[in-house]
Amino acid sequence: MNAEQKRAWLSVVTMSVCVVGYLVLLPLFGPVVAFAAFAFYGINGFAGLIGRHEKIDERDKNIARRATLAGAMASYGAFILGCMGAWEVVWHLQGKDMVSVHILPNITILGGIVFFFARSIAILVLYGRHVEADNV
Amino acid sequence: MSEITNSIRRLRFDHNEMTQEELAKQAGCTRQTIIALEAGKYTPSLALAFRIARSFDCRVEDVFTFSEDASTE
Repeated sequence: MNAEQKRAWLSVVTMSVCVVGYLVLLPLFGPVVAFAAFAFYGINGFAGLIGRHEKIDERDKNIARRATLAGAMASYGAFILGCMGAWEVVWHLQGKDMVSVHILPNITILGGIVFFFARSIAILVLYGRHVEADNV
Repeated sequence: MSEITNSIRRLRFDHNEMTQEELAKQAGCTRQTIIALEAGKYTPSLALAFRIARSFDCRVEDVFTFSEDASTE
């Protein structure tokens, strides 16, 4: 297992802990306080220390680029779905005609969370299957 | 879809039982990439293919084989 895979596993594990923490805190303290559970994901800021002197080659760069693309696509999808979901809840279910300004930052944060999670999953998947090289 | 196979494993053993680490060092890639190549899970770039061939002092065609049948499917 190389450094990129270790970082991806760290990301997946910490994200899973964050989601479980959020679900535990949600009924107790509400959505605003429960969202603080995602602060634990900040531990990934130290992920750069894992194997920082490890050599990488064209395959690693290729996988990293593809995984980043997959993360960006998933993030964009989450952002669109988040916007549509917010509109659906506020307009149709709550009967209000305005969406709160506080929703957009939350949807943006959701997009970021989805980006890092999807990128990590893509790295783990791509290292385990056939990859075509191209101009890297 | 193209199908490119290789004989890296056989060539390593023919070249004084060269280790994957030694080949990776000579070809300028990681050992994990050599493992993926030998398992047929990775198709290298042209540059890496040439570097691997030069590590064995042979031509690219002696290391990698392109299957015409698979490409015309």
